[in-house]
Amino acid sequence: MTAVDPETRIPDPIDLDRAEEERLRAAAGMGPAPASSGAGGEYAGFELVGVPDRPLQTEREVEMYTLEEGEMLVNMGPQHPSTHGVLRLVIKVRGEVVTDLDPVFGYLHRGIEKLCENATYTTVLTYVDPMDYLASMHNEHAPAIAFEKLYGIKAPPRAEYIRALVVELNRVFSHGLMIGFLALDMGGLTPILYSFINRDEVVELLASISGQRMLFNFFRVGGVNWDTNDEFLSRLGTWHANVRKTIGYNEKLITENEIFRGRTRGMGVLTPEQAIAYGVSGPNLRASGVPFDVRRAHPYSIYNELEFDVITQQSGDVYARYLQRIAEIKQSLHLIDQIMDKMPHGPVQAQVPGIIRPRPGRAYAAIESPRGLYSVYAISDGGQTPYRFRMRDPSFITLQVMPVLMPGHLIADTMAVMASLDPVMGGVDK
Amino acid sequence: MDMDVLLGIGRFVLATTLLLLLTIPTAFIIIQIELKVIALMQLRIGPNRVGPRGIFQSTIHGFKVLAKEDAVPDQADRATFTLAPWMVYMAAAMSMLVIPFAPGAIAADMNIGVIYFFAVLGLSVVGLLVAGWSSYNKYSLLGGLRSAAQMVSYEIPLTLSVVGVVILTGSLNFTEIINHQLAHGWNLWWQILGFPVFFIAATAEINRAPFDLVEADSEIVAGPFTEYSGMRFGFFFFAEYVALFIMSTIMVALFFGGWLAPWPFPAQLGGFAGTIYGLVWFFAKTYFFVFFAVWMRATLPRIRVDQLMGVAWKVLLPLALVNLFLTAVAVVAFNL
Repeated sequence: MTAVDPETRIPDPIDLDRAEEERLRAAAGMGPAPASSGAGGEYAGFELVGVPDRPLQTEREVEMYTLEEGEMLVNMGPQHPSTHGVLRLVIKVRGEVVTDLDPVFGYLHRGIEKLCENATYTTVLTYVDPMDYLASMHNEHAPAIAFEKLYGIKAPPRAEYIRALVVELNRVFSHGLMIGFLALDMGGLTPILYSFINRDEVVELLASISGQRMLFNFFRVGGVNWDTNDEFLSRLGTWHANVRKTIGYNEKLITENEIFRGRTRGMGVLTPEQAIAYGVSGPNLRASGVPFDVRRAHPYSIYNELEFDVITQQSGDVYARYLQRIAEIKQSLHLIDQIMDKMPHGPVQAQVPGIIRPRPGRAYAAIESPRGLYSVYAISDGGQTPYRFRMRDPSFITLQVMPVLMPGHLIADTMAVMASLDPVMGGVDK
Repeated sequence: MDMDVLLGIGRFVLATTLLLLLTIPTAFIIIQIELKVIALMQLRIGPNRVGPRGIFQSTIHGFKVLAKEDAVPDQADRATFTLAPWMVYMAAAMSMLVIPFAPGAIAADMNIGVIYFFAVLGLSVVGLLVAGWSSYNKYSLLGGLRSAAQMVSYEIPLTLSVVGVVILTGSLNFTEIINHQLAHGWNLWWQILGFPVFFIAATAEINRAPFDLVEADSEIVAGPFTEYSGMRFGFFFFAEYVALFIMSTIMVALFFGGWLAPWPFPAQLGGFAGTIYGLVWFFAKTYFFVFFAVWMRATLPRIRVDQLMGVAWKVLLPLALVNLFLTAVAVVAFNL
């Protein structure tokens, strides 16, 4: 045995942890750790795991990551059973009570905007599918409208009706899944499975018209890829006959459940003022009592030909957001009825060349996705790819209210509130 | 040495061995029931690959756990980290000593059986707290503290609701409690208020849904078990299902006539046939409540921690006291 040279010795992981700890304490401005003698010495720095591994940059960060006596940081995610993918929530807790919260994004960043800027206008529509992967049809809808504005064409009426049909179908299963995930995050194991019954039927339905189950790639600039076919129509009939029953399973299990109501009523109340100030949109905004629906406020596609009211709830809590989803599912079913009644005959695709070169200019298109106002802003410089392609994803905006909603609630409520906002990390991180 | 003492020791060793061995198939059976029943309730098929109709799925899970790496976190307190699963498991296994399976099939028919049972079962909270503290993990810590708060709070209404039965039957011995029910009918009918309190408190005491806050997977990952792997985790997992089993057995013994058949012709038989007859009824009733717990897990969302404490102190405890008062008055007034 030769003595180990201290210069070349591989450091003990525990020593590295100590160094890490010192660095974290310094970052939080807490000075060096107390000597490990005395009570708690061994656990020094335990409460600080979760502080960013870089100097704190803003006043908000300093406020968030400076701990008072009795507080600790709990790092939920990006690997956590119920943070809906890779959402990371750094939660400052006193016991079980959340005193502050910091959502951290970016673990699913794929650079979709940049990819789109390097793709031709027709192929951009294939890249936006995996953004908000529970609303792929909506993801394609906004760019399709924007590019049609840029290029100065219009989709034929039948294409517009088919578009409205598939996005409403998509909305039904997206809202259905939200209900299931909300229950799952509150410990109810079964509703999610019932949601998936309906989801699978809709996805099969959409697959029969588009060819794919999840990333449909169905919209085209100036129309849609396929017309309806016999399989789609027969599946739609079967699905339509059963859908109220399959959605009813969850309603029976959840809506009047005393535990569910006790945990959701009055929890995570988002006031109309806060919602508007933070730019929250969609069902979450309407659950707070603000009657704003892009389909009504700025009608696109064929929505000004359809009859529907903007549904709102009053209380703005988790339970209201749940009821809002249920009501919107029924509204979408009602819209689907109308669309099927009114659908005209005709072509589903306008005459568009393979490579589109719009004149220089800019176009904006906003649609109502299941998560709120989803919009696209495209700038053309006359080339075959967009000069700039920007997407406003509603989940990203919605999650910003988490630090406002959470203080004073319990750790268990974090999951309920987060699930009730229904974020999809694919959209948040783009 | 006296022959009786030797016989006693031999009987004790045999009984404890049998009981410890019983825990293994019991846990496997209950896990299998849970996998399959919840699957059917969720309109799924459930496990169907291992063995005919998938009946060995939970068994293979058990062996899988044995084969897993046993990881210990760097900063964990090794001694207590290692000891905690044993504490939880032994608390469950030891309380099986007094379970009255059938006439003559009780490991230790002690005259303070009820007290022993709740005293020993209460020890498992120590194991959970130790596991939560020694893991060096915040989720474990929160889970450990939750378990301490929950189990200590719920022990009070739980034991108070049993005092009603004890006053009614005049005994702490399980055999006598069951024989009393042979003469007077199931305690359930005399404890209409006491049984719901016991049932809810018992569900909370063994951390079953909707009171499974200790290992609330959507909030604190797995609570005190977060850092455990391999067979150490297996012991926690086993202990949980064994606790469900023994809580069901005690519910049957205290309120549902134990080994007695639900009708009086004959409610019990003598001799070896009587043991078998009793075992059949006892297990049938027990597994009904196991099924009921699984059913609740598939149906109900989880209660929140402040609501949990509210239920214990504001609802169950007053109800248990009212039940105790009414039972005591009734026993004195009607000379039951």
